[in-house]
Order: sequence, then structure tokens, then C-alpha cells
Amino acid sequence: MMKASGFPYVVPMLLLSVAFFATPFAVLVGFSFAGPGGATLDHYARFFGDAFNFRVLVNTARLGLETVVGTTVLGIPIALLYWHGGRNLRQVLIFLTLIPMLTSNVVRTFAWIVILGRQGPISETLMALGLTGMPTSLLFTELGLLMAMCQIDLPLIILPLIAILSRTPVQLTEAAQVSGAGPWRILVTVLLPLMLPGLLAGWILVFASTSSSFVTQAVIGGARNVYVPQLIYREVGTLFDWPLASAIAVVLLLSTGCLLVALTMISRHRRLVGHA
Amino acid sequence: MRDFQMTRRGFGFLAAGAAVSAMLPVSARAAGAGAVAATFPGSWEDAYRTVLTPMVQKAGYDLTIAPALAQDQLAKVMASPGNPPYDTLLMSPGQMAVAIENDLIQKIDPSKLSNWGMLDPSFQGEYGPTVTIEVNGIAYNPDLVPKPKGYRDLFENPAYSGKVSWTGFASNTAVMAYTEIAKIFGSGPNDMDAVFKLFKAHPEHLKGVVDSTNHQMTLFQQGEIAVFMCSTGNVARLKSLGLNAEFAHPETGSPAAPVNIHLTKGTANLDAAYAYMDAAISKAAQDQLKEPPTEMFPTNKDVALTPAIEAYVTREQLKAMVYPDWVEINKHRPDWIRQFDALVAG
Repeated sequence: MMKASGFPYVVPMLLLSVAFFATPFAVLVGFSFAGPGGATLDHYARFFGDAFNFRVLVNTARLGLETVVGTTVLGIPIALLYWHGGRNLRQVLIFLTLIPMLTSNVVRTFAWIVILGRQGPISETLMALGLTGMPTSLLFTELGLLMAMCQIDLPLIILPLIAILSRTPVQLTEAAQVSGAGPWRILVTVLLPLMLPGLLAGWILVFASTSSSFVTQAVIGGARNVYVPQLIYREVGTLFDWPLASAIAVVLLLSTGCLLVALTMISRHRRLVGHA
Repeated sequence: MRDFQMTRRGFGFLAAGAAVSAMLPVSARAAGAGAVAATFPGSWEDAYRTVLTPMVQKAGYDLTIAPALAQDQLAKVMASPGNPPYDTLLMSPGQMAVAIENDLIQKIDPSKLSNWGMLDPSFQGEYGPTVTIEVNGIAYNPDLVPKPKGYRDLFENPAYSGKVSWTGFASNTAVMAYTEIAKIFGSGPNDMDAVFKLFKAHPEHLKGVVDSTNHQMTLFQQGEIAVFMCSTGNVARLKSLGLNAEFAHPETGSPAAPVNIHLTKGTANLDAAYAYMDAAISKAAQDQLKEPPTEMFPTNKDVALTPAIEAYVTREQLKAMVYPDWVEINKHRPDWIRQFDALVAG
């Protein structure tokens, strides 16, 4: 039970949450039910009644999950390198992780136009290797967008992993080796369970960031790959159908929120907490 | 040296003082010291800030140029009725019709504009002056493709296959092109089914659909696309960046759109807004804005056209341009937007 004397310290946080999260969210939900004759479910029915919208929702969730997988595959080796590395290597890795985060998302996105374009390094490499006879553009493709999203969101998974591993002695792997475990066994049975709380935190951040990344989705994905943020922008800024835009935003928030709750529940599981 | 010490109460006073001082510009603005003018982002924003801000300051007012696309301007003004974030809006007739319908702009008092008489009567709108005419057509890279004759050529000549980029119906430039294509391949400007059918028959054109003309400028720069629907201003901007870009008038006529400054309903800074409007239609401003990189067509009749602008369009040719029926377009636009998005996404 909370001590009576502790409550005043929580008040500022509560007030901030009510003012800047709960109230705007309530307004958003209110808008999504607004109809000419009072509250209505019409906007939600319109959203789910259109197969195109439902497909956009599924595509957005899929992009989020694919980016989670991509960043995990790329992030774990980098975090382990940091864990095993000396002071200099750690500083370099932290620098390389943080610098992109300090650069505007818009700048990073436009840099990807050059990288993925016909005259970019990927196309040049493919041609130099003889894998393709003509310049190839990955712009406006899901693969190109996935590559850009993985690079942009990679720090969000590396940093929680580093935070977890920094508290863990490196000698742990030596102990496992002495006990007869091979590299894969050490990774699967020792390191991954150890890193799981960090991974879960990273997954939440990456999924939320990817599924709401309007600029990158619009610029790299083009108009053929439509995701929920673009749908919301279209309804607000072009069609001025705010109630429908609110309903779509609530659906996006709820679907991201469900995943967040599920991952939080997993991270609090007794067996996982025990490993951490 | 004494240690720096601060009590909690002292910190509280300091924080409160900082908060109050941060609010000062807001109260100054509320007192009517300056105008916030919404302007299209990019070259418009740069040009208006450079040319108009000093002129308005000379008239005794501050001017803040706020970049926003016309649709975004509308959305923001709709979001705060009675307390508009902009004192003036910059838009074409398509958005003007929406603004009037939603009671977002007000009629102006021409007696407050000393340069009003220098405008041709067709540029003296009751909802604000026309500051330039955007002439639309086709931008192309002569290194990569031949000069297009018109919209039909883009679909029928294999030289353009996979090299043309389009935007959705949210863009005015795109809508004007689509209504022309509907006339060519369908029964009239609103026969958009003919346009959708045409795109279905030419899926290579759907690959190059992006969200805005700004993205197309970037892609053109990178050599990703060779053709896109544009205004003469887009081509002037690309040329100023050293790119090989040319403008083609479609054989069926070039769609044109007047760009107007409107007075937002409920603005608290009327005098500053009028000073800004007056500056925008003055000879001094338009003489500068007609030069590269903006090359805006001057609506002030005392301003002579440059050879570069005359190469695109002369004052006499203006009347022969195609001026779409925006009221009719706005009626269908939401439906067209949704249909086209679904078509593009496959």
C-alpha cells in the first residue's frame, strides 16, 4: 500500500499524464464516436467495412513485426560485440549508435533515397557483382522501406540490450564454456534469456516507432505501400473527415497498445524475471 | 569563490519567471504586433521570407512566414476555429472553395491595399488578391526522354514507360492533369473512371506514384524519374539547382491555377495582414519574385515579364490556359482520392 506521505510526489506526474495524455486521448475517442445525431459507431463501421482499410492495418502491423525481426537480428550481434569489447570499441559503438539518433528522422530518410536509388551503392554493388545487368531501384518497395526502418530504429533495440548486458559479468560465457557448452548453446540457453527483458523493451519501442513513422513510410514506401499514418493524414489533411481519422487513430493506438500489454505481461513472467 | 546555492523556493521563482518570459512573444503577438502568413514550403517560403519580411517590417509590422501546404493550412485553421494559427492563407481556387464553404476566410477591404489598382481586374478577388498564376504542364529530363507532346503521349509512347511519376488526387497539380486526361480518354473532365481504366492498362505508371510534387523533385534530382506533372515554378527551381529539366506545354492546353492570399476569419492582426498582402502585390516585390529561382508570373501589370517567363507564357496566353471547375472537382475529390489510393495499392 502506498504511504500517505508519498502521494504528493506522484501528483505532478499524474497531472501531466491527465493533461497531456488522458485528456487528448479522451478527445480523440470522443471525436471517433461523433455523429450528427449523437454518439455513433458509424466511423468504425466505415473503417472496417472497407477491405482496403483493413489491408492497410494488416500491412502496418506486418511492417512493424518485420522491422522488429530485422532490428533483433542486427542488434544482438552489435550488443554482444559491445559486451565483449574493450573501452575504445565500446565508445565507438555507443557513438555510432547515438549519432544517427541525434540526426533528424527526415534527414536519415532522405539519405535512404540516395542509398536505395538507381545510382546508389546497393545498385552499384549488385551490378559490380554481376547479379544484375541494369541499375536497380529499391525505392517504393517494401524491402527498401524495411531496410530503411531497420537502420532508423536499430538504436532503439541496441540501447536496452546494452543496458542489460552492462550489468552482466563477461565471465559468464567462460563459466558456461567450462561447463561444456558450445557457442550456440551459450547463445540460446544463457545469453538470449538474459537479454530477453531488454529485447522486449526494444521490441515495444521498435514496433511503436515503425508503425507510426509517417515520413519514412511516405517517402521510401511511396504511394503504393500505404500504412495507417498515411491513411490518417489523408483523412485529416485532404478529406477533412476528422471523425473517421480519429477512429483510425484509435484503432492504431489500440492495436499497438494490445501488443505492448502482451509484451509487458510476457516480460513480467516469473521464469523470465528469474533469468534476468 | 562562493558555492552556488539555490533553495527550492528560489528554483520555483526562477522556473515561474522563465515560463512567464517564454509567454511574452505570445502576448506581444496577441497585441497585434505582426502577422503570421502561411506560405507553401520550399522556394515559396524562402522567397517570401527574403523579399516580403523586410518590406512589411518597413511598414511597421513583424511578419512570420509559416510554411504549410494548402491542405495543411486548411486543416490547421479548421482545428482552431475562432483562434486561427495563421492571419493569412495562401491557396489556389480548389482550397479557396473549401475555405469559403467552411467559413474560414473573409472578404477583404481593397481600400486598405495601396497597390490594389495595379492588379488586372481578373486578379482582384473579393476574397483576396491573386499574387501569381501557376501554369502547369509536364517536366521532363531531355537527357533521358524526348519532349512529350502531351498527356496522351505519356501513355502511348513506349519511350516514357516506367519513367513517369504521378501523385494522388490530393495534389492540385495532379488533379488538373487528371481532369485533362479524363477529357482526352473519357467523356469529360469528371469522367475519372476512364483515367482509372487507363492506369490499370498501364501498370508501369502506377509504380511511380508518390505522395507529393516535392518528393518528385527529389526523385527527379536523383535520376529516379524522368517525367512528372509540374508547374513552371518547379522547373525553374530544378534548373536553378543545375539540373537538366525542361517544361512542356501539353498539346491540349496548359492547366493554370491562380494563387491567392486570403484573410483568415477571426484574425487579430488585420493591419499587419493587409501590409503583407500589399507588399506581395507591390511592384518592388514582384520584380524580385519574377527572377530565378522562383520565376513567379507577376500579376502586377507594371511588372515586365522576364524572357524566361515569356518563354513559358505571356500575358496574352494566360487567357488561353485551362482553368478547371474547382467546385465540381471538390464535389468528387474525396471519392477520387479513395478510389485512386486503392487502385495504386493494388
